[in-house]
Amino acid sequence: MSESGIDGERRRFIAFALTPSLIVLFAVAVLPAIYLIVTSLTPFQLTTPGSATDFSEPLRNYGLLPGDPRFVNSLAVQAKLSVASVLFQVLLGMGLALLLNVPSRFVEFARTFFLIPMVLPPIVVAVIWKLIYAPDISPLYYAAQALHVTLPALTSSVDFALTSIVIADTWEWLPFTFLMVLAALQTIPDEYSEAALVDGASKLQIFWYVTLPFITPILVISGMFRLIDSVKAFPLIFLLTGGGPGTLTEVTNYYAYLLAFDTNEIGYSSAVTVVMLLLVCGISLGLVWMGQRKKALA
Amino acid sequence: MSESSLRKATPGRLVAITLTLMILLSPFLWLLQMSFKSNDQILQFPPPLIFTPTLENYISLWHSAFSASFVNSLLSASLSTALALLFGVPAAYALSRWAGRGKHALSFAILVTRMAPPIAFTIPFFLFYRWIGLLDTITGLVLVYTSFNLPLVIWMMQPFFDTIPVSLEEAALVDGARTRTVFTRIVLPMVTPGIAATAILCFLYAWNDFFFALILTRTNARTAPVAVVNFMNYEGWEWGKIAAGGSLVMAPVLIFSLAVRRYLVSGLTAGAVKG
Repeated sequence: MSESGIDGERRRFIAFALTPSLIVLFAVAVLPAIYLIVTSLTPFQLTTPGSATDFSEPLRNYGLLPGDPRFVNSLAVQAKLSVASVLFQVLLGMGLALLLNVPSRFVEFARTFFLIPMVLPPIVVAVIWKLIYAPDISPLYYAAQALHVTLPALTSSVDFALTSIVIADTWEWLPFTFLMVLAALQTIPDEYSEAALVDGASKLQIFWYVTLPFITPILVISGMFRLIDSVKAFPLIFLLTGGGPGTLTEVTNYYAYLLAFDTNEIGYSSAVTVVMLLLVCGISLGLVWMGQRKKALA
Repeated sequence: MSESSLRKATPGRLVAITLTLMILLSPFLWLLQMSFKSNDQILQFPPPLIFTPTLENYISLWHSAFSASFVNSLLSASLSTALALLFGVPAAYALSRWAGRGKHALSFAILVTRMAPPIAFTIPFFLFYRWIGLLDTITGLVLVYTSFNLPLVIWMMQPFFDTIPVSLEEAALVDGARTRTVFTRIVLPMVTPGIAATAILCFLYAWNDFFFALILTRTNARTAPVAVVNFMNYEGWEWGKIAAGGSLVMAPVLIFSLAVRRYLVSGLTAGAVKG
């Protein structure tokens, strides 16, 4: 067989192997995005015939957004929820990673169990916290009762509803930041901290001047990952608070869901979703940009 | 002194680690113990920590509609895993051997499918399915899960193919073998562990899904995660059954996660998601 025969045969194989996947990726990533944008330009409601192709006022939905108090509120709720839970996840994850960063068979074995909250189905995590927050059966309320403290119904209380979501979300995703930070910690050569120790540095100084600079990039990156993901928090809010009380825990994702599948405002919901997508893309691009800068610096 | 005096497994530290683990896992263990309690025991005060476990919750679940949704979950998760592997593994191989601009398009696709909020896809999928009649069908779910697992397969499998020396394939090619034969007879058998790990992760992602199943199914194709939530809404507050349902939904996940814990990290950080 001639050289070009092998090449041609190889090229055909590669084309054959790639084409189905590329078609599927196009169909699943590109087409829905186009469709979503097109729908966001219409006043589409499932109950109003012809509204799906009504482009008479294409920017109407976007014009309504700034004046929609529920939308503006949902962005604020999202910001509060994301910032609080990401902050806790990064700080606690770092603490946990520092605690478990020891060479020991037992610790290595135990590490797997620390990952459990993250691998559980998100809806099971929501069920777990539903049981913890349900006054008649919760260990939390038993404990409070034993101490003669009266706890309010946490998930329907104005003061604690958002906090209860933050706690559950932090519990679920703490293992992620823990894993990332631990991986970074294990790349730090022991010689650095040993040298600092010989020079008389305290443990706190070693953490501050040796360890922290090493793990700062990974803290930022894992925080960004969680920030992007936090926009999707759905099962927790769906099961624990339903966006309430009032709209106190109604994040943008949940508002878009209610608009589309509760009140049938598909067009308007698409516009909300497009704005959300743009925000996520912005953060993602920031992440990619930081990754490149890190590579350039290394 | 070979090991840093700062990183030593002192008894104090081991105790601290054990305590932290117990606190962290207590909400999870609470669900588990509740699934083995009768409703009377659940409502008892103070909660009995030592009790005679009962399987009544699991048995009554098995005789309810929950078993059908469990089968739906199994079917949609395994079929979509098989399809995603069928498409994705050859593509990953091709990309691994043919580095080029394809890789950038791929990372973009992963970014989009993995990072975008699922609602962005559910609206188009819902309308499309309503139009062609795929709502509330296993086929519809399989299609969604396949398409979202495909980027994951390509992402996970590429490094496995990268580790196989090209010289091995070249030798066979020189002997006159066709690329297809080289792929199926030489390359594939060498990446079996990778395929197994990837398959399990795909299965888990499909199994864990709640949002797509909530919107794209009603009764016929309802999956186990949605069924658990339905207990709460329609069958009253039967805590024991809810806890047992939750435990059943998480059982395969825990078993499989232990099996692939070595690959878990890279799989979980590929776009870092759970729908």
